[in-house]
Order: sequence, then C-alpha cells, then structure tokens
Amino acid sequence: ANTDVLVGVKAELDAPESSQPNRGRLEFFVDCTANADPEFEGRGGEDLALGISSALSQAFSSSNCLDLCSLCVLPGQQVWLLYVDVLILECGGSLLDAVSLAVKAALMNTKIPAVTVNTTEEGSSEIEVSDDPYDVNNLEVSKVPCIVTLTRVGHQFVVDATKEEQACSIGHLSVAVTESGSLTAVRKTGSGSLHPESILDILQTAQEIGINLNQQLVEKVKLESSVKKDRRGFLT
Amino acid sequence: MAGLELLSDQGFRLDGRRPHELRKIECRMGVFAQADGSAYIEQGNTKVLAAVYGPHEMRGSKSRGLHHKVLINCQYSMATFSTGERKRRPRGDRKSQEMTLHLKQTFEAAIMTQLYPRSQIDIFVEVLQADGGNYSTCVNAATLALVDAGIPLKDYVCACTTGFVNDTPMVDISFVEESLGGPQLTVAVLPKSEQIVLLEMASRLHVDYLNKVLKTAVKGCKDVYVILDEVVRNHVAQIASSVGSE
Amino acid sequence: MEEKKKENLKRICIPGQRICRADTSNITGGKGTYTRQGYICASLAGYIHIDRQEKNSVIHVKRGIEQNVVPEAGSIVTVKITSVNPRVCKCSILCVEDTELREPFRGQIRKEDVRSTEKDLVELYKCFRPGDIVLARVLSIGDAHSYFLSTAEDELGVVISISEAGVPMIPGSAEMQCPKTYVTEPRKVAKVIPEHIAVEKKKA
Repeated sequence: ANTDVLVGVKAELDAPESSQPNRGRLEFFVDCTANADPEFEGRGGEDLALGISSALSQAFSSSNCLDLCSLCVLPGQQVWLLYVDVLILECGGSLLDAVSLAVKAALMNTKIPAVTVNTTEEGSSEIEVSDDPYDVNNLEVSKVPCIVTLTRVGHQFVVDATKEEQACSIGHLSVAVTESGSLTAVRKTGSGSLHPESILDILQTAQEIGINLNQQLVEKVKLESSVKKDRRGFLT
Repeated sequence: MAGLELLSDQGFRLDGRRPHELRKIECRMGVFAQADGSAYIEQGNTKVLAAVYGPHEMRGSKSRGLHHKVLINCQYSMATFSTGERKRRPRGDRKSQEMTLHLKQTFEAAIMTQLYPRSQIDIFVEVLQADGGNYSTCVNAATLALVDAGIPLKDYVCACTTGFVNDTPMVDISFVEESLGGPQLTVAVLPKSEQIVLLEMASRLHVDYLNKVLKTAVKGCKDVYVILDEVVRNHVAQIASSVGSE
Repeated sequence: MEEKKKENLKRICIPGQRICRADTSNITGGKGTYTRQGYICASLAGYIHIDRQEKNSVIHVKRGIEQNVVPEAGSIVTVKITSVNPRVCKCSILCVEDTELREPFRGQIRKEDVRSTEKDLVELYKCFRPGDIVLARVLSIGDAHSYFLSTAEDELGVVISISEAGVPMIPGSAEMQCPKTYVTEPRKVAKVIPEHIAVEKKKA
C-alpha cells in the first residue's frame, strides 16, 4: 500500500511565548483522516496523530533546525506563528518518515509576506504586511531534519518498512537527521528492546541514509518548482 | 451590495464565467487502494477527496444496526488548511455535523439500502481546499466513490449550488460569490428521474424567483451529470481492459 | 441440464440507466439492476451480461472486478470457529459462496442447528473446535450481534481441522483422525463429494 500525506503551512501573526519573546512559533497539527482507515473516524485517529505531532515537535525542538528568530516581527509583541498541518490520507507504513519529508518540502515551499514596522509619533508601532504576492521571504530550511525510521524485523533492521514489516516488528528507532548529518532527535517506539550496540549501528546507518534523503528531497523539490506543468490535482 | 460587482454589465462573473457556466470539473476515480471505492474531484479551486468503505459488518456500537436496511455512516471533514483562515478543528463543529447529516440523508435516497440489512457503508469526504460549493462538490465526489465501490445506486446524485444576483441565477458559485451574501440554493438531484433529494436555501429570496433559480440549479446538476457520466464510463472501460474482460 | 448461453454485449451502463422494458415476459433483471416505472435499470456501473435460458433471460450488470458482498439468508458460507460453549458456537464468516470477504462478519451456530437428526443429543464440544474451517448455510440475519448459521445438511460441517500435533486431520464419518498421532477427535464432518473437490482443483 502507498503512504499519502498532504501538508499545508499557514503563517499568522500572533503574540510570542513569554519565555521566548524574540522567536517565532511553530505548531504541528496532525489529522489522521478516515480516508486512511475507517478506524480513524471521529476521534479514533487522535492517538496516532498525537504521537506523530509530538515526534515532529521533538525533531524540530533543537534551536538551530529552523531559524525561529527570523520569524520575529516585533520582539515581545508580534511574531509569525507557523501552523504546519499534516493530513494523513493513506497509511502504508513508514508514516513518520513520509510525514517528515512532506513537512520539509512544505516548509521549503512556504513564502512569508514581507513585513515593515513603522513607529508612529506616539511611539507605538504599526505593522504593515505586504500584499504583493512576490514580495515574500522564503524560509531557511537547510537544517530542517528528515526522519529515518529503522524497523527491527527478526535480527535485521530495515528502512522504509511496509505495513506488513511494521506489523511483525517489535521495535523501531526513529532518527531525525539534517542534511549535514547531525542528529536532532532519536526516539524508540514499539514494545521490544534494542541492544546498545545495535543502536550505534542504526544511528550510523540512519545518518548516511538521512543525508542522502535530504539531498534527494531538495533536488526533487527544486525540479518540481522549476518545471511548469499542467497541474491536474495533487494525486496525479 | 458590496463594492464588488458580481455580475458585470456584459453579463460576466468575477472569474469570467457566464451565469449558467460551471467551473472546470476534473475528477479521478479509484485514487486509494485501501478503500473499497474512492474519488478525487476538483470543481474550480474546490478540491474534495471521498472514500467509501463497505458494505461491511457494523462497526462500533452494534445497536445502531438496522434490521431492514444498511446503515449509511458519513463523515464530512475539512483540512485545517483548506480555508483562507486556518480552521482549528477538521471536524466536529456544527457546520461539519450538519454537512454530515445532509450527506447521509442525500445518499439514503440514492443507495439501494434494502440490499444489505444489518451492514454498514461508510462515506468519508475530506475537503482539501474550500472555494465555495463545498457541499455540492462533496456530493459529486461521494457519488463517484460509491460507483467505484460498486454499491448499487438507483441513480447518480449530482449537486449544484446556485446564487442569485441582479435577477440572474448563477450556478456553481465560488467562495467570493458565496461570501458576499445573497440567496444561495443548494440542490442535489437524481438526474435520470429528476427527483430532488436535497434542497436547501439560505438567505432571502422572493418566492416568484424561486422557480427560476431552482430550474437553473437543476440544469447545473444535469451539466455535472454529463461530466460525471463520461468519467465513469471511461473508468469502467479502463478497469475492464486492465482486468481483461471475459 | 438446460443449455446456458452467455452473451456479452460490450455495452457499458451506469447507475440509473434504462436497459430495457420490464414488462416483456421473457426478460428479468438480475444482479446490479432494479425496476423503475416499468423499465429495468442498472444500479451499478459495468457491462451488461445476458444469461439466455430457454424461456427466460436474465440481465446482469457486472463490473470487471469483484465487489463487496454480505451474507444473505440461504447462502453457503465458509467460517472459522472462534469459540465453543455448550449452547452455541461462535465463528467468523470468511467467505460467502465463492467470494472472499475483505473483513469477516460474525456468525453463530446454535446447538439445535448443527444437524437435522437427534437434535437434542448434540454436544457442541464433539462437533466443533476453535480453529476449524466449516461450511455452513445462513439461516437468517439473526439477532443484533451475529448471523445464525446451520450445518444441518450432509454436505455441511467441518472441512479442515488441525490436530494438536499441528497437521491437517483426515475426515471420517463422524470423526477426524490425525495422520501423525492417530488420535481421533469427534466432529460434525462435512461429506464433501469427491468430484467437487476435483473440480475445485482444476479451477485453481
């Protein structure tokens, strides 16, 4: 089965968190639609969704993943709040990996309108958001990680596991890797246990794969945006 | 009305259409493998995915099962990024619940429910991008998905939302046309037998105009039908050729 | 045997489309059709098939791919036994006639529906064990929880059973024997006619 995810990024101006007044905010929201599995109807997909969104925020929690300071408009008052909304349409294994790829691709594509801050005579500030669709800034995404999950099947570890492989596995290790090869997050899921030695091996493999994956993704997205093609829906 | 001219003196709408013209409709059937039937449809910028599961054994509380016919279970949800302003929740709000109920009632009229007693059919629609006429697009998508799933239908269900500006009915209105107020009439019809299965009107309209608007809306539904019909025929032929018909 | 001729008119029809008049006495609507205002109409999107028989022809609408079915009263189903208690034996329905279900339906075989004779002497433990594959007929759609099934025919009953040693057992008249340990276990065995098995094999 395929894994299909759709990611949308929306930017809003909002107040910063009081602990970090000069940094923008990033919020992940994952929705497992009933299209993917009837079990997800209503609130049925919430557990899975929560797991994915927490894994994403963990992977992005390192301060240098995404330059949140550049999203600051008026320190302490107005910052850009990026909503990253993930829609899961079909799950056929390696969901987290696919989601992280889609998130990175969506962030690469995100355009933030230029903002000018004018100070009025009384000393208060006025924010002016440009409505020119070409007067926009792109996000710096070179340090945004992709997640590589290695799944233990028997005594072997596999990447990009299918649903069947995941079903008969007892442990998964998800590693968030940036293009330069640094790891921003590691999390182990599943009921089984992993040996420390094999974890070291996994980390090394994940790093190699992650670097490659990041490069491939960037190339693919660049190609996609350079070619003007007849767009007939995003499922074709 | 507001500063925007919804209908120019030459009789063109904001997006250049004539009042009776539909937006461009493109669709695909069978987009997902895991569902029994699925479809993706674009009506202008309104994009909707529909998946159908079933008929299968009752899921969840068994007591909801009906002894004489199949239970139709619908869910209408909108992606949080589908609207201009971000939605907080994809479903569960009043509007979605109302849509869910409408969908259920619409398709109870079209599906041959008596064939599958004590079973359940799920229809899930997901609005990926909302640009007016969400409900009608969802109905059209769900029809295609049901046909793809091979669920016996009395007829297609085609829906169309119609507005009314300057004494002129306008079919398949977009978000801008919707949001500037004015009456809106949503109809879903079984085009072959010309039965109306859903009729909903918002805002105020003089009763003398109702017939005119309704007629235009039904005409719009029939135009939709022609498009869906072609898609289904192509799809059937394609399946047969890929399976290698007997 | 009456001669059956199958004809495939390469015609696509779609739900709601009229196929022909229903009042002509020698044509009836079959699967995938319904009658409205004196016409036979299609309810599925697919090709029209006509089964020509001596007096009466039946029109079907068939799709290229198989579709979901649900068990109906009277149909033969293949079930797997999930639990047995003195009164009733629960099972999950895996196939309806020749079609495999995408997900199982629940069914139950009550004590009095196991066989047609000596109904009061039936001991369910001596008829079925969990894990057995059984052929049964659907009696009714049953209560709110499961379909009622019956094995009260010679051809119905256990067809596949795995012994404790883990090998398929060989059916006898009212028991099954393990070919490895030679232990016999009582069962309501289906008397599958050998020719039918041969036909099945040829098909596969």
